[in-house]
Amino acid sequence: MVMMKRKQGLQAGLVLLLTVIGLLTGIGIPAGMGAGVAGASMLEDGARIVRESFNHMRGKSSVSTVEMIIHRPDWERRMTLRGWTKGEKESIFRITAPPRDRGNGTLKKGSEMWTYSPKINRVIKLPPSMMSQSWMGSDFSNNDLAKSDSLLHDYDHYLEGTETHEGRTVYVIRSEPRPRAPVIWGMQRLKIREDQVLLEQVFYDEDGRPVKRLASEGIQMMSGRMFPRRMTMQKVDEPGSYTAIVYKEIAFLDTLPDRLFTITSLRTVRR
Amino acid sequence: MTLRMAWRNLWRNSRRTMVILTAVAVGVFSMIFIGALMAGVGEQMIRTSIATLVGSLQIHQHGYRDDPVVENTMEDPSEPQAALASVRMPDARWSRRVRVSAVAGNARHSAGVSLVGIEPEREAAVSFIGGAVTEGRGLSPGDPYGILVGRALVGTFETRVGRKLVLMSQAADGEMASRAFTIAGVFRAELEATEKQFVFVSLAAAQEMLGLGEGVSEIAVLLPDGADPDPVARALAAALPERYEILTWRELLPMLTAYIEMNDTFTAIWYLVVFIAMGFGIINTLLMAVFERMREFGLMRALGMTPGGIVREVLVESGLLLAIGMAAGNALAVAAVAAIGENGIDLSAFAAGVEYAGMPRVIYPALSFAGALEANLTVWVLGLIVSLYPALKAARITPVSAMARV
Repeated sequence: MVMMKRKQGLQAGLVLLLTVIGLLTGIGIPAGMGAGVAGASMLEDGARIVRESFNHMRGKSSVSTVEMIIHRPDWERRMTLRGWTKGEKESIFRITAPPRDRGNGTLKKGSEMWTYSPKINRVIKLPPSMMSQSWMGSDFSNNDLAKSDSLLHDYDHYLEGTETHEGRTVYVIRSEPRPRAPVIWGMQRLKIREDQVLLEQVFYDEDGRPVKRLASEGIQMMSGRMFPRRMTMQKVDEPGSYTAIVYKEIAFLDTLPDRLFTITSLRTVRR
Repeated sequence: MTLRMAWRNLWRNSRRTMVILTAVAVGVFSMIFIGALMAGVGEQMIRTSIATLVGSLQIHQHGYRDDPVVENTMEDPSEPQAALASVRMPDARWSRRVRVSAVAGNARHSAGVSLVGIEPEREAAVSFIGGAVTEGRGLSPGDPYGILVGRALVGTFETRVGRKLVLMSQAADGEMASRAFTIAGVFRAELEATEKQFVFVSLAAAQEMLGLGEGVSEIAVLLPDGADPDPVARALAAALPERYEILTWRELLPMLTAYIEMNDTFTAIWYLVVFIAMGFGIINTLLMAVFERMREFGLMRALGMTPGGIVREVLVESGLLLAIGMAAGNALAVAAVAAIGENGIDLSAFAAGVEYAGMPRVIYPALSFAGALEANLTVWVLGLIVSLYPALKAARITPVSAMARV
């Protein structure tokens, strides 16, 4: 009941905003905002918010230094990685510390992934059987990385409501997989702040029970945009186990050279 | 005459005769009964394996058996199908399948499985999946999104009928193929490993998901129970080019074949061991009897019996003994097989260990005429041979030395 009021409140607010903008720019808004049109607008808004957030979080291209902390009840492992991303589809990560793992890397182009280990001097293309296994020992799966843009293509996003966080409005979005989309989740729920920062992403199974949760903390200005200092992926049923990504530094760029995202680049150890 | 004398001689010391009769009967009984049990286990394992998708023989693209990947698909199944039509195989049924390794996953679990694309109506006649669905429904022909999952896998994945299962595998063009199937039904199989290993979809769905067009991975042929697959396999190999490999179940299941052969060897050794034990008993008893009757033999020699006659006498006695023992042993074995045959021997208490060995949980004995004949012949022939020793000893007595014994 409260949810509906909030939705209607939000819609009323949006209508008002759009009407004002419409009047200012001369675009007409249909007078009757009935349930059907409201539903469609919920979908459009949801999709738009998700896409904008995705672009914001990913940037056109980025270079980052990241510390990955893999924490379990009785041990913890830390790795430092250097990562380059370009667009939605290309990324390359390389471990720089500890010395034991130094030089290991993962390259992703489209839906294909390769890993490299200098110890065995082999580039291995990941077969489908390895896609559900963990990436570099963390709570992220190879699939999570490879299909990171699956959120945009395989789901319908519905704006459920709003909350506030640090004085800003947060959109709560329910993402349902499109029929026959090859995704294992039953549903995802996203919390996206009005400055396009992804605050939380919860993955649910088909029974509606949460399975894992990605949460952002320490949101601050980094390379000209609001970005979380730390993101933690955790299985809901195992609170003592998580993987945290701490952004030591990140730079958002317009573009990066293509030669960075090749297998040769994966093999070459860079400073 | 010899026979009458032999018979009377047997019962002169009835207690001793009964003891040795019991030994022979028990020996023959154990040979036949244990042999039947082991044969039963072997036969059931063969039948289960054949039903678990192996069939009597299979046709593949050459190289598929060593590397069952999507690249080794038979692109034009009409060729082997034509060959199947041309070879004479009375009462044979065949079905075609796509079979690749895949990863099945849902929100909480993932596991490697063997994805099998089948034509449900044809497959029902060839392998176990036809009657194995216990919950939900079977696959309909051309079902695009239905999948049949084993009971054990459904348990491991904490899922149920109606939920989705995402399968990922490599498509024919090298790209990754994934598809969200909906669990249509749950099947049960003899072995838990089977339930965890196989998932079934329709042939059309598998072909579409993997971009195979009309290609299939294998064609399985089922011949009637007990038929020898080798001549059919040879005929098919002759009718098809080198590109295809045709393998019988013996070649496809080398472990099982080795097990059956080991069974046979073990049975032979068992027969030998039982016989040696029995044989010593026979020799011992006969020797004692012969020594006891030295004077009698001496008298017979003095009255004109030839040494050969004495040997014949002893052998006939021994032969009678063996015959009665064998008859009793056979009767016991048949009774035991009939008694157990109804319910089998239930090994469910050792289910985990038995499962590991691939054996069925309830074993039924399989009495065969050949097996029983083997056991009987062994006892009869070897029994007579060992009786020669006391017989010859008896024959070498001279009347004088016999009389000298008191």
